[in-house]
Amino acid sequence: MKIQGIEITKINDTLWEIPKYGGMLVPGRIYTSKNLLDSTLQNDEAIKQVVNVAHLPGIQKYSLAMPDIHWGYGFPIGGVAATDLDEGVISPGGVGYDINCGVRLARTSLEFNSIKKRISKLIENLFKNVPTGVGAHGAIRKLSAKEIKNILVNGSQWAVEQGFGSDEDIIYTEEQGKLKGADTGAVSNRAIERGMDQAGTLGSGNHFLEVDIVKEIYDKEKAGVFGLFKGQIVILIHTGSRGLGYQVCDDYLKVLVEAGNKYGFKLPDKQLACAPVKSEEGQNYLGAMQAAANFAWNNRQIIMHIAKKTLMQTLNISESELDFHLVYDVCHNIAKIEEHNINGEVKKVCVHRKGATRAFPPGNNQIPAKYSFTGQPVLIPGDMGRYSYVLAGTEKAMDETFGSSCHGAGRVKSRHKALKMGKGRNLVAELKKAGIEIQAKGYRTIAEEMSYAYKDVSDVVDVMDKAGISKKVAKLRPLGVIKG
Amino acid sequence: MKHYRTIDHTADIAFEITAGSLEELFETAAEVWLKSTAEIKSFSITTKKEIALESFSLENLLVSFISELNYLFLTKKWIALECEYLKINKHDNKYMLRAVLNGSDLQSVKVIPKEEIKAVTFHQMNIEKTGTGYRTKIIFDI
Repeated sequence: MKIQGIEITKINDTLWEIPKYGGMLVPGRIYTSKNLLDSTLQNDEAIKQVVNVAHLPGIQKYSLAMPDIHWGYGFPIGGVAATDLDEGVISPGGVGYDINCGVRLARTSLEFNSIKKRISKLIENLFKNVPTGVGAHGAIRKLSAKEIKNILVNGSQWAVEQGFGSDEDIIYTEEQGKLKGADTGAVSNRAIERGMDQAGTLGSGNHFLEVDIVKEIYDKEKAGVFGLFKGQIVILIHTGSRGLGYQVCDDYLKVLVEAGNKYGFKLPDKQLACAPVKSEEGQNYLGAMQAAANFAWNNRQIIMHIAKKTLMQTLNISESELDFHLVYDVCHNIAKIEEHNINGEVKKVCVHRKGATRAFPPGNNQIPAKYSFTGQPVLIPGDMGRYSYVLAGTEKAMDETFGSSCHGAGRVKSRHKALKMGKGRNLVAELKKAGIEIQAKGYRTIAEEMSYAYKDVSDVVDVMDKAGISKKVAKLRPLGVIKG
Repeated sequence: MKHYRTIDHTADIAFEITAGSLEELFETAAEVWLKSTAEIKSFSITTKKEIALESFSLENLLVSFISELNYLFLTKKWIALECEYLKINKHDNKYMLRAVLNGSDLQSVKVIPKEEIKAVTFHQMNIEKTGTGYRTKIIFDI
């Protein structure tokens, strides 16, 4: 079959291939279903972007896309590509502006019945305490440039040292909340300035903080290890590196557009600007990107701590009664140097995950010891009116997708269309009727982020589960949401 | 003859802009940025800012210019409401932009923020000369 003039061949019910043509160095591979392919990919540029990514120098095996694939810039959202460290490139377009945008899930000992009458108040207080919206600031005092640099090096360890959490939180954060190659010297003063009042802020767009209930358990054993049970109250947080990360991406795109000319790269999209991984430009970007990633982990750590305190205060319960613990924190916009099996040889590659979640399997030494028999928790937020999922990483992901899975539902309607669809409706009342409390800075955000703007995350997750890339463990349902 | 239209984009906000001159093209890009970022209820111009930028390409220069407006808004809490002066020159293979912006501190403007524009992207941006002026697409990452 052809989509947007591009030939696509079915490999099996969950995998489709774009054979190599033109300047593609590898084929493209899209994890999806016939239904998702027909309903969501016919009218945008995402498939073409899978083809474009296949042009990146040094790309290994395939230009990959997860089932939540949609139109991005440079890479599609939901895109994964690994490049050779010697002959390959690193591209900010393969990471995105919101460096280390990610998700963290915290569990409590609370059950729905014990707090159902307090959820409205809880959401109101969370909205008061966690800064949201355009240019959100003020969760903690404005930090100095020196303090920001400390965060850029130490990641969420900084928050823990300031009393925003515990050492246990570090264990259950991807990379222990700190990429060790962070280079503060490669981060511009403007990026640092943009971060000074944004530590502990949610931002706007699709970022959120949710109070969820564990609605369904698919794998009791793994859920038990993750500390999840049916009816349990959990907190889900989705945000990233805020203005600091956007600025790092912006700064280096300009540098790498120029570097591309210098190295003679001819790429189909300027947004795929890149430099050899080991070049000065590539190493500077890598160092700055890792610093921004550390800022994001620190951001989510502070927000989680504010949420924990708000739960205790609103429900008037002690720390031991709440029994609040981080299940895991994953990033889904990142480039990482990782070891993977490339055509029978284990070697280090630069894995770009642009809207894709790491999904490492049981036994992998990069995941917490407690999860060594389950695989890492893979956190997949859906839209605010339906579901989110917890999955577990598998060996198949290591074999086929450089240890990566999907990252969310994936948009299908533009913000403009979504706004139109929300016109004349009382969306807050609709959500309330469905048992979901919402607090947001503006009605506009609510309209743009309603369920109708997204694919059904269940369809997306089912593809990953069926393909064996990550396996379903639990389904969460929102009870209350705060948004920017 | 400046003109813009919204292009449907799944995740972000996209426009196609046409204008009679490069300067008009950049001014119109500033207009669509303002339209996307905030709804202005009432304002008075209280301050001016001068901007000087240079780049090896027009696309890079346009991204830098709109990024500057976005930075002033999000970080300096100052909103550019109109371009009083804008000139683009080419010298030694570099494009140079000089602009005077009229605007206001956010405390002095009644403004409802719309979208937090994370960044101005290069995606599909190609400033091309037409029979009557210039045209480009511009996509904001939300």
